[in-house]
Amino acid sequence: MVKTMIKKISLIIILAIFLIIFIILQNDLLLNQSDLSRLYFLQNTLNETSSENIVTGIYLDYRLFDSIFEASTLLIAVSGIIFITRNYEYTTDTFFIFDKHKASNILTHLSSILFPFLLVFGLYIITHGHLTPGGGFQGGAILATAVLTTYYINPGRAINTKYLVLIEKILFIALILISSISLITRNTFFTNFIPIDKNNSHRTLFLITLNLFIGLKVSFGLINIFTSFLREESKL
Amino acid sequence: MNPILSFIIILIGFYGIATSKHIVKSIICLNIIQAGTILFFLNLGYSREGDLPIYFEGIKDIVDPIPQSLMITTIIIGSTISATALILSIKIFHHYGSLYWDKIFEKEK
Repeated sequence: MVKTMIKKISLIIILAIFLIIFIILQNDLLLNQSDLSRLYFLQNTLNETSSENIVTGIYLDYRLFDSIFEASTLLIAVSGIIFITRNYEYTTDTFFIFDKHKASNILTHLSSILFPFLLVFGLYIITHGHLTPGGGFQGGAILATAVLTTYYINPGRAINTKYLVLIEKILFIALILISSISLITRNTFFTNFIPIDKNNSHRTLFLITLNLFIGLKVSFGLINIFTSFLREESKL
Repeated sequence: MNPILSFIIILIGFYGIATSKHIVKSIICLNIIQAGTILFFLNLGYSREGDLPIYFEGIKDIVDPIPQSLMITTIIIGSTISATALILSIKIFHHYGSLYWDKIFEKEK
């Protein structure tokens, strides 16, 4: 009892020292703030990336290298989870934990009504990523939840995840290939491959295709994670 | 004042990781640290006069869009980290029969 008290008190002292150091260093943080980046993005983003949503313009054009490897972390996590939960004895009919008796009738009926609307809403968020708040990652999460509500509608049916990882890998390679076309057309890496003109409306094609690919990739990854969770629980 | 508050949230997460007795609680504390970092970075780009960073007619000043686009990365990575941690905790429960750190360390000896 005394030992744990001493441990907790020493921990609180260490964390308080961290807090004091942060408060001292915080003045330097406020000194280094500037409005230059804000003004630059306000003036130049529409001309350079042709995206009305500035955040989408940053993560699909200025920092595309960064967001491609962000998408790769999800692929690595999915393959790690599949490796951990791998079934050595291949079972065709897995019993999932969602019992029809445990889930209430209101939930199952409402999810069967909501399912097509969720799919359309996710596709809307993905394809309008350069105009409204949202984008590939957010819309992909909505698509994944729409597919996962099918477990409520029909618990006996299992999603075949054998080919989902393969499709995800192909989508990731296609992402890298599309974003490196600009090496040929504009002589720079990882930007929009359509050169800058006065009429910028056709350049949004690049943003829409990249958002679609990222959204599909994220939704397949999340479906894979969830089904491997269910399969791991159903082993008990 | 606001950056200090978000740093206090991060420190609460560290304290929870060090003292929690259940594995799921320590995974929740990882998510608390992630929420603290997101608050900290969004505070850096905030300005009271700024509008949302989407073009519309008569736009004058916006909030800084760089921290917002960086935080998308943080949210995705946080979700993958919590997913792998939870699947490892399921494996630990199958092997040791418990999710308390004390019982796991006892069975390890």
